[in-house]
Amino acid sequence: MTATLGYAQLRNVGTASKRLTAGLPPVTVVLSFAVILLVILWSLVPGLFTSFSPVTGDTASKLAAPSAAHWFGTDYLGRDQYARVVYGTASSVTSALVAVLIGLVVGSIIGLASGFRGGWLDSVLGRFVDVLLAIPGFLLAVVIVSSLGFQTINAAIATGVSAVAVFARLMRAEVMRVRSATFVEASYLQGGNRLHALLGHILPNAYRSVLVLAVLQFGTSILIIASLAFLGYGDPPPASDWGLLVASGKTYVTAPWLVYAPALVIVVTVLSVNRISRWLRKAK
Amino acid sequence: MTSDYKRFALTRAGQAVIVVLLAYVLTFLVISVLPGDAITNTLRDPQHGLSEEDIQRIVAFYGLDQPVIVQLLLSLGRFLTGELGFSLQSNLPVSQIVGDALPSTLTLATSALLIAIVFAVVIAYGAQYLPGRWAAIVRSIPSFFLSVPNFVIGLVLIELFAFRLHSFTTTDPNSPVATLFAAITLAIPVSAPLAEVLIASLDHESRQEYALVARSRGLSEAKLFAKHLVKPSALPSVAMVALIVGELLGGSVITETIFGRDGIGTVVQKAVTGEDQPVLQAVVSLSAVVFVAVNLVADLASPLLDPRVKLRESKLREKVSA
Repeated sequence: MTATLGYAQLRNVGTASKRLTAGLPPVTVVLSFAVILLVILWSLVPGLFTSFSPVTGDTASKLAAPSAAHWFGTDYLGRDQYARVVYGTASSVTSALVAVLIGLVVGSIIGLASGFRGGWLDSVLGRFVDVLLAIPGFLLAVVIVSSLGFQTINAAIATGVSAVAVFARLMRAEVMRVRSATFVEASYLQGGNRLHALLGHILPNAYRSVLVLAVLQFGTSILIIASLAFLGYGDPPPASDWGLLVASGKTYVTAPWLVYAPALVIVVTVLSVNRISRWLRKAK
Repeated sequence: MTSDYKRFALTRAGQAVIVVLLAYVLTFLVISVLPGDAITNTLRDPQHGLSEEDIQRIVAFYGLDQPVIVQLLLSLGRFLTGELGFSLQSNLPVSQIVGDALPSTLTLATSALLIAIVFAVVIAYGAQYLPGRWAAIVRSIPSFFLSVPNFVIGLVLIELFAFRLHSFTTTDPNSPVATLFAAITLAIPVSAPLAEVLIASLDHESRQEYALVARSRGLSEAKLFAKHLVKPSALPSVAMVALIVGELLGGSVITETIFGRDGIGTVVQKAVTGEDQPVLQAVVSLSAVVFVAVNLVADLASPLLDPRVKLRESKLREKVSA
C-alpha cells in the first residue's frame, strides 16, 4: 500500500482499462463472476429458479434425500431445501450489502476527516477507531444485535458497525499517502482549494484500494451475518437465511444434506467474492 | 533500556489504559440502548425467582432508577476496582461466572492458537518450497480457509469424526479429542491471515541479497529457511498473532455452541438471550482488556526483537492496515 509509484506502475494505471478488455481475466475469476451473477439473480427473481414454495411443503416427502426433483433434498416439513436456499438469498445478500455500505460510508468519512484534517481531530478519531478495534469484531456485533433486537437487518447494522474501523484505517492511510503528493501540492499552487483537492485528487486516488476492501468485506459480512443467523440472532423461521438453514438442518443427523447444501452455497459465494477481490487488487 | 524506550513504553501503556476505559464506555452505551424495561423484565421474570427485596437491591446497586450517565460512572468506578457486579439471571457474582467459564475457553483458545501457528507455518513453508503447481495450490489455501464459516467447519468435523468415525462423542465435550477438534475448528479461519502474513514476508525475505549470498555460499534451502528467513518473518507474525487474539475470543462463541462446551462463549450466549447486561458488559470489556494487553506486549516486544523497528507512539492502526 505504501509503495511509491514507479514509472512502470504509472504506465499501468493508464492502460488498465485497455488491459481489462484486451485479455480476459483468469478462468477462476470468470467463474466467480458467474457465481455472483447467479446469486444476484436468485435474490432478485427467485421464482425463476424453482417452482417449489419455500414456506409450504409436502409432509409426505419429508427429509427426502437429494433427487432430480429436490436438488438439495427436503426438510422436516417436506419443504424443498433448494427453494429455501434460493428464497433465502435476497435477505442474506442484501444484509451483507447493507453491512458493507455502513462500514464503507461511516468508515470512509472518519478516515477522510482524520487523514485530511489531521491534528486534534485525527487524534480523537484515531482513538475512537482504536476502541472499535479493541473489542473483538464478532463480540461487538453480537452485543449490538442483542441490544437492537434479533432481526436480520439489525444483524446487518451490527456487522457494518464492526467493519467501520477497518475502512476508517485504510481510508486514512490512503489519504495520508496522497495528501502530500506533488500533484496535490501543484493543485494548491494553481489556486485549487481544499475541497477541490479532496474531491478532485484525493478521493479518486484512494477509492481503488477502498473498493478492493469493500469487495473483500462483502464476503466477510456474508460470513458474519450467517454466523449471527446461525446463533438465532436474525429473522426467525420461516425466514430462510443461509446461516439459519444450516442451524435448523443440524438437528437432523440423518439428513446431512440439509446442512451441506446451504453451507456449500455460503462457501462458494464467499470464495467467489474473495477471488474477485484478489483479482481487483492485482489489476490495480 | 534507553530513556527513549522507556518513554515509548510509558506512552503506549497509557494509551492502552485509555483505550480499555473507552471500550468499557462504548460497550456500556451500546448495551444501555436496550429499552429500559428490558432490565425490569429480566428481573421480574418469575423463572429467576427474585423476591421484591432482591429486585430493589439490584436496582439500587446498579442505580437503575437514575440517569444513564450516573449508571455509567457507578459501573465504571466498580470496574476500576475489579468489581464486576451480579448477574441479573442467576444473582451470582459475575466474576464467579466468568471465572468458572474461563479455564475451558483458555484451553480452547490456546490450543487453537498453537494449531493455527502450526497450520500457518506448514502452509507458508509449502508455498515457498513445493514445486510450482503445488505451491500455487497451497497459496490458495488461506483464501479457502477464510471462505468457510466457523460453524460449517465444526459441523463437518463432528459429522465425520464423531458420528462416522467415532473418534469422540459430543456428549463429552471436554475430552481431549473433542477439545482437539473444537480447537481445529477455531484454528482454521484464524490460521489464514497468519499464513498470508508469513507467506508475504517469506517471499520478501527470500528475495533479499543476504538470502542470495547465503545460497551462493551453498546453504541448502531448508537451512536458509531455518537460519535466516524465519527470524525476520517472525516479527510481522508476532504482530498478527496479537491481532488474532480478538478473533479467537469472538470465534469461541460459535465453536463452544457447536461442540456444547461450557465456556465464555456460552456465557455470552446465555447473557444475550437473558438480556443479562452486567455479564455481557463484563465479558466484552474483559475481552478488550485481553486484546489490548496482548497487543501492548507485542508492541513493547517488537523493538527488542528487531532493533530496526522505530519507536512510534501508536502502532495499532498502521499495523492492521499493512
